Amino acid sequence: MIPIEYWLILSSLLLAVGVYGVMTRRNAIVVLMSIEIMLNAANINLVAFSSYYSSLHPTLGTDATGQAFALFSIAIAAAEVAVGLAILLSVYRRYQTIDVDKINILRW
Amino acid sequence: MDVLQYAWLIPVFPFIAFILIALMPKRTLGWEDGWGYGIAGAGGALALSFLVIWEVMNGNTLTEDAPRTTWLIIGGYEVTFGIWIDQLAALMLLVVSIVGTLVVVYSGGYMHAEGETRRRYYAEIMLFISVMYGLVIADNYLQMFIFWELVGLCSYLLIGFWYQKPSAASAAKRAFIVTRVGDIMFMAGIILLFKYVGNLDFAVLFDVNSGAAGAPTVPSDILILSTALIFGGAIGKSAQFPLHEWLPDAMEGPTTVSALIHAATMVKAGVYLTARTYPLLVQTPESLLFAAVIGGVTALIAATCALAANDIKRVLAYSTISQLGYMILGLGAGGYLVYHLQNPSGYTAATFHLMNHAFFKALLFLCAGSVIHAVGTNDMRLMGGLRKHMKITSTTMLIGALAIAGVPPLSGFWSKDEVLAAVYHAGDLDPIFLLLWVLGIATAFMTAFYMFRMWFMTFAGKARSDYHAHESPRIMTIPLIILAGLAITSGFALFAGDGFKAFMELPIEEHVLAGHESAMDVAVEIFTDPLTYVSLALAVVGILLAYRMYYMPGFDRSVFARGTAGTLQRALENRWYISKFYDDFACKVWYGFSLVCDAFDRRVIDGAVNGFSYLGASIGGIIRKAQSGNVQRYASLIILGIVILLAFLLFVVPWGGW
Repeated sequence: MIPIEYWLILSSLLLAVGVYGVMTRRNAIVVLMSIEIMLNAANINLVAFSSYYSSLHPTLGTDATGQAFALFSIAIAAAEVAVGLAILLSVYRRYQTIDVDKINILRW
Repeated sequence: MDVLQYAWLIPVFPFIAFILIALMPKRTLGWEDGWGYGIAGAGGALALSFLVIWEVMNGNTLTEDAPRTTWLIIGGYEVTFGIWIDQLAALMLLVVSIVGTLVVVYSGGYMHAEGETRRRYYAEIMLFISVMYGLVIADNYLQMFIFWELVGLCSYLLIGFWYQKPSAASAAKRAFIVTRVGDIMFMAGIILLFKYVGNLDFAVLFDVNSGAAGAPTVPSDILILSTALIFGGAIGKSAQFPLHEWLPDAMEGPTTVSALIHAATMVKAGVYLTARTYPLLVQTPESLLFAAVIGGVTALIAATCALAANDIKRVLAYSTISQLGYMILGLGAGGYLVYHLQNPSGYTAATFHLMNHAFFKALLFLCAGSVIHAVGTNDMRLMGGLRKHMKITSTTMLIGALAIAGVPPLSGFWSKDEVLAAVYHAGDLDPIFLLLWVLGIATAFMTAFYMFRMWFMTFAGKARSDYHAHESPRIMTIPLIILAGLAITSGFALFAGDGFKAFMELPIEEHVLAGHESAMDVAVEIFTDPLTYVSLALAVVGILLAYRMYYMPGFDRSVFARGTAGTLQRALENRWYISKFYDDFACKVWYGFSLVCDAFDRRVIDGAVNGFSYLGASIGGIIRKAQSGNVQRYASLIILGIVILLAFLLFVVPWGGW
């Protein structure tokens, strides 16, 4: 069994990649993809802790709560992608660009 | 059926007339644009008032146990409206109902030429009559104050009836603002009483400091202050010095309004208030002395101003102020007599003068209205010789002038003499009343003089301008004849039945008095008192002097234009410069102060407010740069915030031992 620390390091790295992408990429599609990476980092955490919890309490059998939450999270991520892409499509129709540096009219 | 229970209906009749005249379609108004409704409303109130007065004369009153209706509940205190019918209220009901009804009748002739605006006139007159009745029958100070303000409003509206004239508009404003000074004092007085007693009902307040079980107590200095403040309301409403200058200006209104509001009823409200407050006033000799001095000074100043006035209505206006001063003087001196000797003669004399004055002064004003109606001017210098053309008016006005001058057996003689006698007797208690008595006697002399100066200038001699005078229509002369009859006979009320004094002293009797004299004693007392003959002689001398100066030919009046006499004459014509003083004070001192306040407001207060808003705007201008619109920068800041928070939780919190 792989120790929990490995999973946590993996998910931290994935989150850092996602955050880096959100903060630096100009293309809104790539920003959206980076957000997906951050979500998946969280999903890994959920599954990892779920498994870790079961290993700590062998008498309780397999606890699937964390895994079920991961499934919910994936479903919500799918919905979020749909909404996000729809917004980006509208933005593109309006401004002919999806460069997030240029989409900044909501300001002082 | 107990009529007194229904006394609250008295103001309802004129109020319904007011609503109908004000709101009904024009074609339903009938005669004279609402005159018919006015007569009906005033007549209904007159009939019910007379029933109520009859009950009171039979010895029934309705005071403490009168029906009340709750109007407002504030915390634990219920504001109630009720009625309070005692002898004093009955007296005022008599005055308001008779004069009110006769003035409405008379208006049918006097206002005939006014056309469409008559509707507004009748509506306002009916509203006035209604709220005046309301004031008279009020059973607590708050209710009285509300109606007090409403009569002031009606006075304002009717003085400014011809509001197209700038002088009328400004006179209306002046009357409203000057009386408001008194109203504020009145309000302060009742607030003070409320603070200490927690109630404004006469039934509770009149027991103050009486020592009866459950009676509230008020510290004597507070009682003095509050009664003096309530009397301040009377100073404003009854046009007493130094707030008297609005009344002569109020003559800008129609003469009927002057007769009703500014001679017979509303200006009497101040005297009525003072008499109403008597159970409190007689406990505070300081306030009584204040009232007496104000009354005496007012009587003299107003009488002197009347000597030189050339406007027939202004003569009457000053005369009204002067006579109101008499009543206040009588009440002040009478309170002293009650306080020290348990003698109510001043109170009865002043209220008696209130009634008599209402009749003869309404008569004089309506006569003046008849003259103005015929000649078309107020200036007596342009009149003269009207006796030949206006027999009824000149005769009735002569009766009025004799009554106010104090010639027996007309009404003014009895009541004025009673007032002066009461003041003289109060002189035994405090010598200042002897001085006030001298002022009163001098006023009596001047009253006789200026009244006959007015009569001779108006009716005697030859016409001094080109006019075609004619006697007024019967609708105007009949009220004159009725009022002339009252001016002759109302003085005999002193001897009717048990006598006027025995009747009037009843309401204060239960508080302070015991025993009274019979009508016969009163008559004997009057005719054996040398003071009676002093005031009578002065009245006759005044009349003869006026006869010499303004009727007989060959008197050179130009002596009044030179030297000391000239200075005095100019001072009188300028009303002792009191009006000018107020104007100067308002236009220079107060305006200068207002300019300073204005500068302070603009520079300091507005400056502070604007400074703060500028400061806020400047800071906002700096920190709004953070709102860049760049989503990625926001995300970076959120992450930075999370990192800082985590670092805090991980390192600082355990290290600090929290």
